[in-house]
Amino acid sequence: MLSKSRGGRAFQYVLVLVLAISLNFFLPRMMPGNPLALLAGVDVGLMTQEERDEVMAEAGLDKPLIVQYANYWGDLLQGDFGYSYRQKKPITELILARLPYTLGLAISSLVVAAVIGVTAGAYSAWKRASTRDVGLLWGMITINSMPSFWLGMLLISVVSVKFGLLPSFGAETPASGLEGFDRLVDIGKHMILPVLTLTVLTIPAVYLTTRYTMLSVLGSDYIRTARAKGAGETRVLFAHAMRNSLAPVVTILALRLGFAFGGTVVIETVFSYPGLGRLMFEAVGGRDFPVMQAGFLLITIAVLFFNLLADFTYQFLDPRTKGQ
Amino acid sequence: MTATELDLANDAGMATISEGVKPKFRLTSAHVSAVIGVSLILMLTLTAIFADQLSPYDPTERIGRPFEEPSAAHLLGTNDIGQDIMSELIYGTRSSLTVGFAAAAVAIFMGTSVGLLSGYYARLDSVLMRVVDVILVIPFLPLLILLAAYLGRSQSNTIIIIGMLIWAGSARVIRSQVMTISKQEYVLAARAVGATDRHIIFRHILPQVMLLAIGQFVLVISTAILLEAALSFLGLGDPIQKSWGTILYWAQVRGAFLTPAWLWWVMPPGLLIVAAALGFALIGFSLEQRVDPRLKQSR
Repeated sequence: MLSKSRGGRAFQYVLVLVLAISLNFFLPRMMPGNPLALLAGVDVGLMTQEERDEVMAEAGLDKPLIVQYANYWGDLLQGDFGYSYRQKKPITELILARLPYTLGLAISSLVVAAVIGVTAGAYSAWKRASTRDVGLLWGMITINSMPSFWLGMLLISVVSVKFGLLPSFGAETPASGLEGFDRLVDIGKHMILPVLTLTVLTIPAVYLTTRYTMLSVLGSDYIRTARAKGAGETRVLFAHAMRNSLAPVVTILALRLGFAFGGTVVIETVFSYPGLGRLMFEAVGGRDFPVMQAGFLLITIAVLFFNLLADFTYQFLDPRTKGQ
Repeated sequence: MTATELDLANDAGMATISEGVKPKFRLTSAHVSAVIGVSLILMLTLTAIFADQLSPYDPTERIGRPFEEPSAAHLLGTNDIGQDIMSELIYGTRSSLTVGFAAAAVAIFMGTSVGLLSGYYARLDSVLMRVVDVILVIPFLPLLILLAAYLGRSQSNTIIIIGMLIWAGSARVIRSQVMTISKQEYVLAARAVGATDRHIIFRHILPQVMLLAIGQFVLVISTAILLEAALSFLGLGDPIQKSWGTILYWAQVRGAFLTPAWLWWVMPPGLLIVAAALGFALIGFSLEQRVDPRLKQSR
């Protein structure tokens, strides 16, 4: 990852995007049966031949495949993700309404997970092989084996139902009539449990990377030099070791963000949270394929965007990669 | 996540190795994790094999009233249609482990093939590694959902889809090992006496990466089990097979987690998923540590 040039990375991201879009285009068209049912979500069986032809022409499905493919790209580049025949709405409108919720969950959980994960990882490496280090390590590995939706369900059972502390579903209380600051508090309360679930599950990867990087940094010569010249332990930890461990940690954070976006599908389902993931889940239930595809594509785009952001941060944090 | 990140055996090893002292044998946490991992998996595997004998009821039969609380007859109560939850869990072990094993087998076959080709043939390397990079960036869960929705719900589809999505990490690990081995003298010697590529790959390189591949296989099972659970939880699993994820799907649909039933309907399947995922992960880490090429080089 270190040695790859900026151009190489950009090429890779473009490749991922082309692949995702092509997959979206070809999947419904390669499936057996009439693509109309998959693409438009129409009950093909109930229609006469003329009606079918009409809808096919309307959706552009009667044109040669290559023309359809070009049109598909053209629409996407104009920000048109197609039309959901089930929900009778343009998909772009549907996803734009949901996107802020998912972004809110993913970003806020990542920020919290980064702070806790990096701190715990650095502490663990600092106290290497102590009981606390080993205890933390085991705890993190166990958390890493938990299914996210299960943790969410347990949190609801205990925190919301048993103790009635926090709301268990939705993004805000429906028809609450709250305004201004009170409404913000209400929205915040609804965010706590889903963000907590996502955070807990993101921490282990951040912790493990930080711990590993710190361990190798702490064993290196310049740390010994810093100690030898009489720098205090705190200064060695923060000014020398932490700074040099940051770059790989940023990379893993960006990768985790990809997982966090993917993970929102299950977590939003558990908490009935109205984000993109929940939209995808609802689309699965209603066999609304165009919406599922749009969800997949948008999550992919978001992941690529944050990867790109991480690449730039990496270069900023690790000056050695600048020349490349 | 790789074992090098985890660094279990290396609690103290890091310093010793970098100082050039040969590490002494000691009871490290790698041994502990191997023992715990093996015991967990052994118990679950036996449960899966002897499900017919262990299970008190047929999990597909309605043997009681719906939503019964735990009793002597039904240790974990009954579900929404009056099936015994305990029996569901026992049979669920069978289908969850089957999917985990099979999907990991698909993944490790792909991963080892790509790793061998990529590590041995420099010409293929840049192309194959680019494919690996692309797969690693795509958010898998949404893609998994999309593919499962298109291809339809069946156990074999679940296995193939999961397997085809999770091989990339292993391919990368195996490739780096193959590259190290390819440069060793005995491989060069074999080539000098005119051994074919096929002979070198299968006779000299494959046996050397086998242990690493097995370590990866076990780690991938852990991932596969978690993905299967997530997929089934979203209602995209095989509707005929009862897996742990499916049980949780019905618990969610029927709102079990909003009632006291969370203790016997939601808690147990999740604990079993944790036990399986953790068990395989622990075995995988300790296996991987024995073959970590990075540690070998520095010795």
